[in-house]
Amino acid sequence: MDFVYQGKCWKFGDNLAVDADLTKKEFASSRETRLEVLREFVMCGVDPDFHKKAKPHDIVVAGRRFAQGNPHIQGLLGLKSLDLGFVCETIPRGSYRNAINAGVPFMTKCWGVPDQCETGDDLRVDFAKGTFENLTRGTRVRYEPIPNVLLEKIAIGGWEKTVALRIATMRAQGLMKPTKAVAASA
Amino acid sequence: MGQTLTEKILSRVMGKPVMAGETIYPVPDLMTCHDWYVVNFDKALRDLGVDELYDPTRVLISTDHEPVATNPLSADRQKKVREIVKKYGIKHFYDIGRGGLGHIFPMEKGMVTPGMFVLAYDTHVTNYGAVGALGIPMVFEIPEVLACGSVWISVPETVRVNLTGSLKPGMTIRDVSQKMIVDMGEDLLDYSVVEYGGPSLKDIGFGGRMTLCNNPLEMGAKSALIESDEWTEQYVKSRSDKPFTMEKSDPDAKFKAVYDYDLGLLEPQVAAPPRPDNVVGVSSVAGTPVHHAFIGSCANGSIEDMREAAMVLRGRKIHDGVRLFITPATQEIAVMAGREGLITDFMEAGAVMTAPGCGPCAGGRLAPMAPGENSINTGTRNDPGRLGTREGNVYLASPLTVAASAIAGEIIDPRKYL
Repeated sequence: MDFVYQGKCWKFGDNLAVDADLTKKEFASSRETRLEVLREFVMCGVDPDFHKKAKPHDIVVAGRRFAQGNPHIQGLLGLKSLDLGFVCETIPRGSYRNAINAGVPFMTKCWGVPDQCETGDDLRVDFAKGTFENLTRGTRVRYEPIPNVLLEKIAIGGWEKTVALRIATMRAQGLMKPTKAVAASA
Repeated sequence: MGQTLTEKILSRVMGKPVMAGETIYPVPDLMTCHDWYVVNFDKALRDLGVDELYDPTRVLISTDHEPVATNPLSADRQKKVREIVKKYGIKHFYDIGRGGLGHIFPMEKGMVTPGMFVLAYDTHVTNYGAVGALGIPMVFEIPEVLACGSVWISVPETVRVNLTGSLKPGMTIRDVSQKMIVDMGEDLLDYSVVEYGGPSLKDIGFGGRMTLCNNPLEMGAKSALIESDEWTEQYVKSRSDKPFTMEKSDPDAKFKAVYDYDLGLLEPQVAAPPRPDNVVGVSSVAGTPVHHAFIGSCANGSIEDMREAAMVLRGRKIHDGVRLFITPATQEIAVMAGREGLITDFMEAGAVMTAPGCGPCAGGRLAPMAPGENSINTGTRNDPGRLGTREGNVYLASPLTVAASAIAGEIIDPRKYL
């Protein structure tokens, strides 16, 4: 996976709620995980037309407590459905995990990043190296990227693909029983 | 270097010493999940081609988020939960009327004991810290735990809090707890375990200990737990035959921070909308009209909370235009509340009792608010939409303040009624 995203900046403020701002709250209760359903509601709590305007590899920039609230994954899967990355000052741990689970490249603890850009600026972010470039302003800042072991999970494509690999490996090593169907046919 | 209590618990699980910052795959002693996620984890497992659990004897399912089905869809989901439990041979299943709120009754039944490591599908499993167990919420990755036995975590750092002083009249642990998490702040609490000890711990019972372990989650803490003491030993021994050890952090353990926190707060505290950390003294919001009120949840559904509510409600009537729902969190608490006459006090005041479990706090499927209404309650969170509608305001407070406000018809300092 290429961890360099070049696209438009979409800047939001602090305390965006994972359920009610990043997506439609009802999706958490209904446990909706289909990307084709979620994509029409990305950031709908703050901008109902966002999904029509954002393009793949655009970058969401936020301040503190991005994706706060009960750690439901739907809001993060929504970002994945539009192939967006995000950069923020802080993110609660449950949403940190869910960004990895959803396979969304991101950086956090990027203090002051909202001052580095405005909506509409052209950005280039390398999520593996931790560089944040504002091509419109001609500025470049370095942040600490997330650990490699977690970037690998994003590169594999998120939780489902990572777990499928883990299950295959455990079965090959005899650490997990085969499914009943496989056992019956053997 | 010495270890924190959390590092000791995770070292025991891993069979080797681990320290904060390490990424590990610890196999939990118990894994809990509530009724609303069972159908979903079953589908996730089927999608992964998995039809046997790693260890069904370590799995506990509780029907607490929607104990009373109110429509055919809910009834059908409950039926499916029972079928799924049977299919996988899950050992610990507590259906409606059997346990109650899954973050509480496993301690009452002696299933969760000091030093245990528990993973859960729900954020408030940290309540198990009340008996010195380490409960860590996992949510989306629970099917991985069910299939493979574990999931990655980074060993968290610990913030040590020594409780000092004593509560003043009209103040409860809820007031202190919601003020304290704001004073400590999200940057400190982020991905930390809060460990409580200190000279005032001896004065705090089961309910207060759960509240202390419940609130820090809302500020990003990974978990919270209480250093075992005489109370822990007595409580657990009266409920479990299992041997357990009461570990403490080593004197030279490395803490992220150490706090002394005085319980001697001067004013009841209310978390105003829209977030649990928007905490103010009750006088700042006094006079706000109240339409909906609720006492219960994993933060404040204990027998102590019921007793506090009854202190205010006994012999009084709830204000016209206010509906007050009271949910004893577990079957055991409901039975105790009945024996002590508290339910009589509640019903005579005009309150509505609901089935043991999470009550309205579980997303407002039961007893939600209407648009434009204000609720004051003892739930865990007050995000817009928490109680069903985004177009309402949710205030969080102690059982004393909620009961007093239900009587007054507006938010009020409970000391007026004590």
